[in-house]
Amino acid sequence: MTAITGVGAYAPRFRISAEAFQDAWGQFQAAGVTEKAVAAADEDALTMAYEAAGRALEAADVDAASVDWLAFACSRPPLAEEDLTARLGAMLEIDETATRHVFAGSTRAGTRALWAGTDALESDSTTGLVVAADAPQGDPDDGVDHAAGAGAAAFVLESEGSAEIVDRAEYATPYPGTRFRTTGEDETQGLGVTQYDRAAFTETIGGAVSGLETDPDVEAAAIQAPDGKLPYRAAGAAGVGTDEIQAAATVHSLGDLGAASVPVSLASALADGFGSVLAVSHGSGAGADALVVETDGDVPAEMSLESDDSLSYAEYLRQRGVVTSGPPSGGGAYVSVPSWRRSIPQRYNLEAGRCPECGALSFPPEGACSSCGALEAYEPVQLSGEGSIEAVTTISQGGAPPEFAEQQARSGDYAAAIVALETDDGSESASIAAMGTDAAPDDFAVGDRIETTIRRIYTQESVTRYGFKIRPAE
Amino acid sequence: MRDAYLVGAGQSDYGAFPEESYRSLFRTAFEAATDSVPNGLEASDVDEAFVGNLGVGGRQLGLSGPAVTEHVGLGGVPCTRVENACAASGYATRQAVQAVKSGMADVVLAGGFEIMSDMSSDATKYWLGVSGETEWERLSGTTFSGVYAQMASVHMETYGTTREQLSRVAVKNHSNGAKNPHAQLGFECSLEDAQSAPVVADPLNLYHCCPTSDGAACALIVSEDVVDEYTDDPIRVAGVGAGSDNVGLFQRDSYTGVPASQRAAETAYEMAGVEPDDLDFAEVHDCFAIAELLAYEDLGFCEKGEAGQLIESGETEIGGDLPVNTSGGLKSKGHPIGATGAGQVVEAFKQLSGNAGERQVEDPTRGLTHNVGGSGGASVIHIFEKETEVSA
Repeated sequence: MTAITGVGAYAPRFRISAEAFQDAWGQFQAAGVTEKAVAAADEDALTMAYEAAGRALEAADVDAASVDWLAFACSRPPLAEEDLTARLGAMLEIDETATRHVFAGSTRAGTRALWAGTDALESDSTTGLVVAADAPQGDPDDGVDHAAGAGAAAFVLESEGSAEIVDRAEYATPYPGTRFRTTGEDETQGLGVTQYDRAAFTETIGGAVSGLETDPDVEAAAIQAPDGKLPYRAAGAAGVGTDEIQAAATVHSLGDLGAASVPVSLASALADGFGSVLAVSHGSGAGADALVVETDGDVPAEMSLESDDSLSYAEYLRQRGVVTSGPPSGGGAYVSVPSWRRSIPQRYNLEAGRCPECGALSFPPEGACSSCGALEAYEPVQLSGEGSIEAVTTISQGGAPPEFAEQQARSGDYAAAIVALETDDGSESASIAAMGTDAAPDDFAVGDRIETTIRRIYTQESVTRYGFKIRPAE
Repeated sequence: MRDAYLVGAGQSDYGAFPEESYRSLFRTAFEAATDSVPNGLEASDVDEAFVGNLGVGGRQLGLSGPAVTEHVGLGGVPCTRVENACAASGYATRQAVQAVKSGMADVVLAGGFEIMSDMSSDATKYWLGVSGETEWERLSGTTFSGVYAQMASVHMETYGTTREQLSRVAVKNHSNGAKNPHAQLGFECSLEDAQSAPVVADPLNLYHCCPTSDGAACALIVSEDVVDEYTDDPIRVAGVGAGSDNVGLFQRDSYTGVPASQRAAETAYEMAGVEPDDLDFAEVHDCFAIAELLAYEDLGFCEKGEAGQLIESGETEIGGDLPVNTSGGLKSKGHPIGATGAGQVVEAFKQLSGNAGERQVEDPTRGLTHNVGGSGGASVIHIFEKETEVSA
């Protein structure tokens, strides 16, 4: 048997309301969505996956080093080609030898990953980590984009635990054209044949649920939610009532989460203590997965789905980079990708060094010791990700290096600080420069407590470099 | 070791000059320098040259020294390009002094140049802050305005320094620059102007930041063996000091001072056998308003933490106890990176030879120049002294 032993979920801090769309367009094409989450300019599916996965591991009280099976699911990963689980694994400090899979190209990818994780645990894996993160994107005047939200959920899988995956079934039959993205295109589209789209949705969901060994009798149902109405239309096919769907729904406040839609709803139902949950995804093409989770109502969960940081529609277009012109053609001061890679233990995992001569900490751990001048190999010391601000400024227009001109155009002024990052016991620290994120620049002042997270730093030569930033401590 | 003397110095105007090349600006500075030598000095007299240049824009990035010294007809004498960010030509001056003191040369040209205004805004952005620590400091989103703003944030938090005090630096330096025909921003500004400008990197607004500039400057350093051929009123290089530090602010011991400047000052004062009280004027590196205040403390013009009160007291204005940046400083005169250090020497020469016009300090004997690279990765200080008694 496979059990979910920890759940994590994350949504970005920004929200935009249906009214803001109404004001901008005269209409809002995502029925049933009141507001939705919007990824910040320095976020993408990989950073949201990191946020959710860290929370799930913490909830499960599982050491990342013991994870031997990792899956990352996203309908549209930040890179069309390149396995991002290598970076995600490094961010989370998962062992290099762990089995990794990417599930992409479908809003069903999240449940496919759960499915494969369940198979792996029933085979010889001991600790699985399934992460689904997504931020759908369509043309600005299209319903896909109106509904598009952002969010992520992660599940730690072990052989025993408080929430067991007791039943599962899948179903697929051809329904081309309901939702697709052609090679090289950024925007997801659909032909918009209403009755045909609904048929694809309900037939696949019904097919998957019919395949279950037992008729589901559940307290909550996490149903794929391309908008806020469609999941309820599938109530009959799924064999559940609208109340059960409502109980697990996140689409009304977060929008369409794509491949993370069912995972975030499932996570939220488990976190809310429901004893039995049906999770049914739908992916265009079309297919569906149905999973039944029985729990003791006490699944460890770390959820971060709430926020009230509202954007106007113009700010929404800026954050998403729809109305900005991209980085300046001149590029910036050059840090080669091989150089960047050498700094990954610091960028992702805050690896400082202790001077073997005097014991002082250095970050990054290279060159002569800044305290005693000794030029010796440092002993690695991992910093905790907590600390305080030593010096800070708010960078306004004109003050940003060109690497950040596009980010600044999208997200506005930002804080840039020098922070003292502390060791686990807080008794020592090392100073390093870091950019602020997840809060207004005014929320960073000398002496304030901060924590680190991982975000996009910048993109050069088409390669996005990820690394730590700071935000006010929770 | 032999003594070294400053016998001439000159500069181009600082500003934006679409009609000029880096070579033509350097020629203007070179000719101004040779013309300023009281008894005259020919290109053929020069034994060696050191030229400061960062290379903004790329252009002649390699061998940019010979590219200008050959242009002005130095006829194949050894030339070394010196790169130490904004302290490039301060260090070129120090190299010239070393060459003379060592006995290897009798007449040495120390110069610098930079062109910063002839690029598209995209290309200009590329060069912003390239002397900051690249991998961590720059990639935390800062150029120098941000790094100096971080220093200001701590200075304000620790010592109660105010935004108004920062603005008073701009008001003073603009008032001085308005009296300097070479100044790029040679206009006065009110305290109101200097407090209400758009924010660049909080707490620094536009009036707390120097401009980008085109310009060139040259100084002529000669040995005690030949100084009498060039002048009857020798100005001795009484003190030289320099220091380096980690390039990134986060790597340093102090965020409220520039340790490299403190070390440079200590060395220079000791060599000259003087104290800050013995100075009659100083040209300090005011790339940002906070940098001038930090210099007051690093160079011993006041106690640590009291720079805000010093600027408020008016003692650093012309007519005060220790006028600072009579040229207008980087803020008003301009900051063509590679030329800035040599340009400070030009002001010292003008003041000590009584040719500073409307901004002349009354009968000065001794002045200091202070040139900083980046946010303090390099610093170099010279003390120049009129040698009336010694030569008598």
